[in-house]
Amino acid sequence: MSGRENEAKILILATEDCAYPGANAVGQAHMSYPENTYILRVRAPVMFPERFYLDCFEKGIYGIIIASCGVECPYEGAYEALASRIDKVYGMMKERGLDTRRLRLTGICTVCTRAFVKEVNQMNELVTELGPPGTEKKAA
Amino acid sequence: MVDEKRDQVTAPGPKVGVYVCHCGGNISDHVDVEKVCEDAKGIPGVVTVKNNMFMCSDPGQQLIMEDLKNGTIDRVVVASCAPSLHESTFRSAISRAGGNPYTYEHANIREQVSWVHHGEGATEKATRLVAAAVGKARELHPLEPFRVDAKRHATVIGGGVAGLRAAKDLADRGIQVVLIEKSPFLGGWTAHWDRLSPTEDDVSELIPELCRQVLDDPAVEVHTCSQVISFEGFIGNFRLGFRKEPPAEGAYAEEIERMKQSGADTGDFIPHVGVCPEPLPEASEEQTVETGVVVLATGFRPYTPRKGEYGYGEIKEVITLPDLIRIIAENRRAGGGQLLQVNGRKIRAMAMIHCVGSRQIPGIHEETEGRPLNQYCSRVCCGATLHAANLIRETHPGTRIFDFYRDIRTYGRGQEEVYEKASDNKVLFFRFEAQDPPEVSGNAGEGDFPVSVKVKDTLTFGEEIETKVDLVVLAVGMEPNDVSDLVEMMKLPVGADRFLLEVHPKLRPVELSVSGVLVAGTSQAPFDVGETCAAASAAAVKASAVLARGGFVELDPFIAEIDMGKCKGTGACVEACIVDGALRMVEMDLDGEKVLRPEVVPALCQGCGACTAVCPENAINVSGWTLKQYEKMVEMIVSEKLAA
Amino acid sequence: MSTETMKFDALILGGGIAGLQAALDLADQDFKVAIVEKDASIGGKMIRLSKVFPTLDCASCITTPKMAAAAHHENVKIFTYCDLESLEGTGGKLTASVRQKPRFVDEDKCIGCRQCEYNCPVMVSDPEQGGFSARKAIYIPFSNAIPQTALMDVENCTLCGKCSKVCPTEAVDYFQEPRIFTIEAKTAVMTTGFELTPLENKVQYGEGKIPNVITSLEMERLLAPHGPYNRVLRPSDGMEPDSVAFIQCAGSRDKSMGISYCSRVCCMYAIKQAMLLSGALPLADIAIYYMDIRAFGKGYEQFFQNAMAMGIAFIKGKVARIDAGEGGAVRLHYEAQGEDGGVRTADHDLVVLSLGMVPAWNPAGTCTVSTGDDAFIKTIRPKVAPTLTDMEGVFVAGAAAGPKDIVDTIVEAGAAAMEASKYLASLARTVKAAA
Ligand SMILES: Cc1cc2nc3c(=O)[nH]c(=O)nc-3n(C[C@H](O)[C@H](O)[C@H](O)COP(=O)(O)OP(=O)(O)OC[C@H]3O[C@@H](n4cnc5c(N)ncnc54)[C@H](O)[C@@H]3O)c2cc1C
Ligand SMILES: Cc1cc2nc3c(=O)[nH]c(=O)nc-3n(C[C@H](O)[C@H](O)[C@H](O)COP(=O)(O)OP(=O)(O)OC[C@H]3O[C@@H](n4cnc5c(N)ncnc54)[C@H](O)[C@@H]3O)c2cc1C
Ligand code: SF4
Repeated sequence: MSGRENEAKILILATEDCAYPGANAVGQAHMSYPENTYILRVRAPVMFPERFYLDCFEKGIYGIIIASCGVECPYEGAYEALASRIDKVYGMMKERGLDTRRLRLTGICTVCTRAFVKEVNQMNELVTELGPPGTEKKAA
Repeated sequence: MVDEKRDQVTAPGPKVGVYVCHCGGNISDHVDVEKVCEDAKGIPGVVTVKNNMFMCSDPGQQLIMEDLKNGTIDRVVVASCAPSLHESTFRSAISRAGGNPYTYEHANIREQVSWVHHGEGATEKATRLVAAAVGKARELHPLEPFRVDAKRHATVIGGGVAGLRAAKDLADRGIQVVLIEKSPFLGGWTAHWDRLSPTEDDVSELIPELCRQVLDDPAVEVHTCSQVISFEGFIGNFRLGFRKEPPAEGAYAEEIERMKQSGADTGDFIPHVGVCPEPLPEASEEQTVETGVVVLATGFRPYTPRKGEYGYGEIKEVITLPDLIRIIAENRRAGGGQLLQVNGRKIRAMAMIHCVGSRQIPGIHEETEGRPLNQYCSRVCCGATLHAANLIRETHPGTRIFDFYRDIRTYGRGQEEVYEKASDNKVLFFRFEAQDPPEVSGNAGEGDFPVSVKVKDTLTFGEEIETKVDLVVLAVGMEPNDVSDLVEMMKLPVGADRFLLEVHPKLRPVELSVSGVLVAGTSQAPFDVGETCAAASAAAVKASAVLARGGFVELDPFIAEIDMGKCKGTGACVEACIVDGALRMVEMDLDGEKVLRPEVVPALCQGCGACTAVCPENAINVSGWTLKQYEKMVEMIVSEKLAA
Repeated sequence: MSTETMKFDALILGGGIAGLQAALDLADQDFKVAIVEKDASIGGKMIRLSKVFPTLDCASCITTPKMAAAAHHENVKIFTYCDLESLEGTGGKLTASVRQKPRFVDEDKCIGCRQCEYNCPVMVSDPEQGGFSARKAIYIPFSNAIPQTALMDVENCTLCGKCSKVCPTEAVDYFQEPRIFTIEAKTAVMTTGFELTPLENKVQYGEGKIPNVITSLEMERLLAPHGPYNRVLRPSDGMEPDSVAFIQCAGSRDKSMGISYCSRVCCMYAIKQAMLLSGALPLADIAIYYMDIRAFGKGYEQFFQNAMAMGIAFIKGKVARIDAGEGGAVRLHYEAQGEDGGVRTADHDLVVLSLGMVPAWNPAGTCTVSTGDDAFIKTIRPKVAPTLTDMEGVFVAGAAAGPKDIVDTIVEAGAAAMEASKYLASLARTVKAAA
């Protein structure tokens, strides 16, 4: 593992009802995924304002996966609000020259182990390719 | 076991203790626990770091409890397995040591580190997760579960079997109940029936028994001819106003007439009507109750066929299943006979048609007169129809029966037997496809049967068959009663099928999205009487759990909290809130000035944080899950200081 | 052998979804509850399903929160791997004699780390995965089991000693004896659920011996997100099936098997599985052979109509016989009801038997609760108090009282909890009155 890979930190905001137990199921199955991933347990990702995501990129997070409950969200209406906020964040990312694929909204269930690993691997490949946030501008 | 108390004098502010578990090698085989501990000592705010082979064991828990008791620490971070396994263990250890269980944060370094990463990066990741947990722990504050005063009182709306069952159950659990029934009668539609399918229960016994239990119970107050007119408040503390008034002109005329003719007293059962528990009111009167929970048991109404649907309303020999059920009972009371009789007419042969007003398919059935299609199956009509057919075949063996169906749905216990019995009783079955329904026509003058029913029968591979009959019975389905006033007033959710919509059919099947408001019986979906009673009892048990502690309801502390020092009163949070009424703007006094500021209604707040995201000042946060805590966690995760 | 006695307000027999719901509804009213479960994990059939109709949410996502809520509830104590030997008494004093089978792993010591499982050299076919994959001779029942405690399959253990060597807590105990204890409770709820109708006595369906004829529960595993293959493959040769058939009323509404009743869930689960299959195998032809489609519950008819719109073929006809066809195919002989009728044959790559339900437990010999003609537990007031049995203070819910889907099961469990809590309240009143 090279130092660079470890630097490419990916933040995963995982809902306590679905995705967080889903990530635990990956562990119980002893599957494996890259180490540069940090899973934070959240009640509902709808709580994060637009600037939280931008700040994360500013602080040096390479990629963010919002692992939500999707439409099975226990808070009625919250998922829709989240989805429209993420759209706004995409706009703001574009303005700042950030590749919007660095932020991904997805649904992960309590036993969706393969889906979880797939999401993480995809994001990892992407951020390895893109490099640190903010550098894509120069590349282009 | 290592015990390395930091000799450095603790800085003011939270004192965090970090406890790392080896999990008997499960963690320590892949994560260098000693190194994690060493590095954790350098994390700001950490005053002690310990590790144990099994933190969840008694000795492990003792480590935490001792440090709390002697004042070394006031925040706890345990790095171990998934929080679902032992978060509650450690929270309870903190409580037992006299601490606040919410001053705890968990770092998941087994399921999310040692079991998924095996390289050297595992140790660094574990350290960063511990650091993130410490970052959050320093921002944690003691929390207390919310207590909301609650009236040990329930209101049941609707006096059919669902309402009666729920009211009696609640009263038996020592809860005061007010039952509000719109009509002058108790018993709902069940009281209109006769013998129930498939158990043969006689409603003239069943309904009076249920009514007696309710009317004789001093804990239940029954109000008939009453309707809800106002509703406010929240779980534990609703205020519900209702008006009792004489029935409107012509309303319940048939039933009132039957009551008069029967000469029944109040409290007596009147066949096909129900029990009238109190004299009809002479004047209008309004009352208000303060109540802790509300159970909606407003029931259904049988589908009324459109004019011309299978000849209904045009051919007088076409009637509905509710009509037939009464006719069967009247025939039996009149002493039976070789042939069933309707108004003196002998029925030599009759047709029964299933799925009338149910299982309607867009594209095949058309919406008329603004009546939306009923796409659902009404669940009870197949059983009730075949049961009625059996009653007729057994009491009036001369009456032949033709049955036209799409699928026979005798699903429940004892129902398949009713179907088999119908075959044994020589009921003749014809099966039709939704797009080829039977055609009913009057045969004025043609032969001596007044009606003919023609069908393309799939049981005989699509042969056109015509039957001549004296009577056609339409097995009409169920539609929800119109409760748009209640829906509006109480903000109740309604599904595409127009029935009341539960929060989740499996997780919370008898709860509506308004906390403290429950649903029972056929106001939710078609059910038979047994299923209705089960649903009513299930609603009652939820209500009973809410009110079990007597006097108060205890709620999670994870709800929105406003920092008035920061709040500028923009109202953005109120707008973003996903629950009606959980946040509201109120006028308050701030430094001698009258200002509008938001206020959280704890009983309604679900703690999702939708408000947090929109506050420009970050003045509103969900306790225990604040934005600041997450920012700290992210900072720790990217911290240069922790780099390996 | 000591026989300790533990006291509770309520005893719940069976930790499936019915038992869990009843336990939670009682515990939330501050009654003390014991759940006695015969398996090594709670969760019943539901935790073993893939996705559930009519909402198609993931079964685990709905079941695990209830399992965890019961396991962590301060008023609930769970006893797994236990058989009820007898239940006696009445009038608010029930005495249950319980025998806990040896797991050969100390429950208090095991931390669920699975070291034993990883190091065990013995591979055994895993019934929890429909036999499609293997497990070890010492194992945790399945990934989301509660408790996460290992148990040893003594039939297959070679006594190599590896597990006891690697166990970090010295929990492996080759000499563990059954533990017999007594539970005293004031009321009980029977939630013992169902089993699939056994195939052995149905010659027409090949008695379970025809390759590529699987049961519906096996299909649930194939479809589960954490299932054995990660894909739907047919068992005989691992081929992706191009045509899959479901046979309805296999072992229900069938007098020849002594099961005349309708099992009530098979129409809906077959439609569900067909829908999930058409997602997993978009090119496959999927057919359901049926007599009547009984989509009676809330939202079910719409679910059925959606399945028809998706192109799933619904073939009206009674399957009379099944044979092995060529190259792993399965040949169906059926009496067609639609079109021109007649006896026809059809070949499919994979055939699923939509098996019905039989009771999992017969109370005879254990307690005086009676059963009906259908062998499910008898209820004495099915219309007004549907969970009452003929033993005072004993109630029933879920599939133990006749086939039932999850929604109806959960509601009925709530009703049984209500009856049990009323019974407890009435006992308290009589005690008060006597004092
Ligand atoms: C034709 C037919 C035959 C049937 N046969 C059988 C059978 O054989 N066996 C069987 O088990 N089931 C049978 N059923 C089903 C059975 O009728 C229902 O399960 C049962 O009546 C449902 O009871 P409920 O209390 O939910 O609703 P209802 O019986 O409809 O009672 C609802 C009550 O609420 C009152 N109400 C409505 N709105 C308000 C309001 N806004 N405020 C106050 N009160 C209000 C109504 O006046 C009524 O009294 C049959 C149904 C039909 C349609
Ligand atoms: C293939 C298939 C697919 C299905 N799909 C769906 C679906 O999608 N949606 C849906 O709503 N329903 C579905 N169902 C139905 C669903 O499985 C049942 O409704 C549900 O499992 C019933 O729950 P229960 O708790 O009553 O019984 P069970 O799930 O059978 O649980 C009973 C529990 O009691 C235990 N037990 C038994 N006997 C004893 C004893 N003597 N002592 C102690 N414990 C005992 C058992 O081990 C078990 O844990 C499906 C069924 C099948 C077969
Ligand atoms: S119960 Fe029978 S008659 Fe009624 S809607 Fe359903 S299928 Fe049609």
